[in-house]
Amino acid sequence: MLHTPVVICAAARAGFLLSVVLAATPLGAAPPAGQATPAPAAAATVPGTPATPPPAAPAADAQASAAAGEPDTRGLDTEVQGLKKDAVDLNKDLFILEEELLFPANTQVAVFLSMDVGDFFALESVQLRVDDKEVIDYLYTPREVQALLKGGVQRLYVGNLKVGRHELVAYFNGQGPNERPYKRGATIRFEKGVGAKYLELKIEDRQQKLQPEFVIKDWE
Amino acid sequence: MFAQVCAAVMACGGGWVVLAQAPHVLIGQPAPDFTLHAAVGANVRLGEHRGEVVVLSFWNGGCGACRPQLAALDRSLATYASAGLAVYGVGVDDDPVRAFSFARRAKLGFPMLLDPQKSVGRAYDVDNLPMTVLIDRGGTVRYVLRDYSVESEQLYLRQLRALLNE
Repeated sequence: MLHTPVVICAAARAGFLLSVVLAATPLGAAPPAGQATPAPAAAATVPGTPATPPPAAPAADAQASAAAGEPDTRGLDTEVQGLKKDAVDLNKDLFILEEELLFPANTQVAVFLSMDVGDFFALESVQLRVDDKEVIDYLYTPREVQALLKGGVQRLYVGNLKVGRHELVAYFNGQGPNERPYKRGATIRFEKGVGAKYLELKIEDRQQKLQPEFVIKDWE
Repeated sequence: MFAQVCAAVMACGGGWVVLAQAPHVLIGQPAPDFTLHAAVGANVRLGEHRGEVVVLSFWNGGCGACRPQLAALDRSLATYASAGLAVYGVGVDDDPVRAFSFARRAKLGFPMLLDPQKSVGRAYDVDNLPMTVLIDRGGTVRYVLRDYSVESEQLYLRQLRALLNE
């Protein structure tokens, strides 16, 4: 519960930053022509150092825009980019805090899925049952299957379980050899101790049998 | 519930009462994401079509107006597919066999998805068939059409062009 004020505080900060970003995004609302911020390229050189020629193009642009009386919005643009980056970083921190609150490390169970080759099996859906209770029924699109075949690992499920013995059953649906409907199940009984538990569902091709193989691996 | 579902009653000057359809609750809201089986072809996830204008048409095997409406959507897809339009039919039918055969016989240029649990139908608050939902490139529900007629098809095309031009 110690995290709660932190989350609220971070959420408030993120909201503030987002509102600042949104307010500052229309660059058309730049300061008037007379208040244009100086361009970095036009900064004075330090005395005593050899005067290196500044990049010609930006300086020339700045002079040209100043001469034309147009506001230089590059400084403002950089500021907006910085604020956007801060908002993204805060969002990431919030996500991590949310995960820690919803799925504390001592009760967390996560199930991952990976695929290898996939010549004998085209994945369509996976159903997971934990202790005889369905926890997820996930449909895969061709893009997701492609991502898995390229080596991606998907976090299929994350939940909470108490310490003790549990059973996980995974049902794999799809097309098997010769494009026939194919459904297989795999079961694992595991001991949930204190600390997070990670399980991986692996779909592999068994070349000798010309069949897919479904394995559940316990990450120790 | 009545006010939410179908009509808002407005009194006019001479004592006349006009029934007007209430705006759909999802207009201006992010479109609920889903993944559904297609009657023919691969599964479809809405979230993968961010950046495209997506049209969802909810149909039923026993709905008479659904067939011409789906044909009209097919014509619009043929015209605007290259501009970034994606169309999906979502079948909300109590009878999965009838839905499947309807989808197979329709012979349309877009996937016909099956929602036997009606979870997507509930998420989109479908209260009339056919119902057409227009989602912009950012994934927000912009327009909902709850009937089909020549006038509504013209309105659909105007709204669709506006979204494609954004």
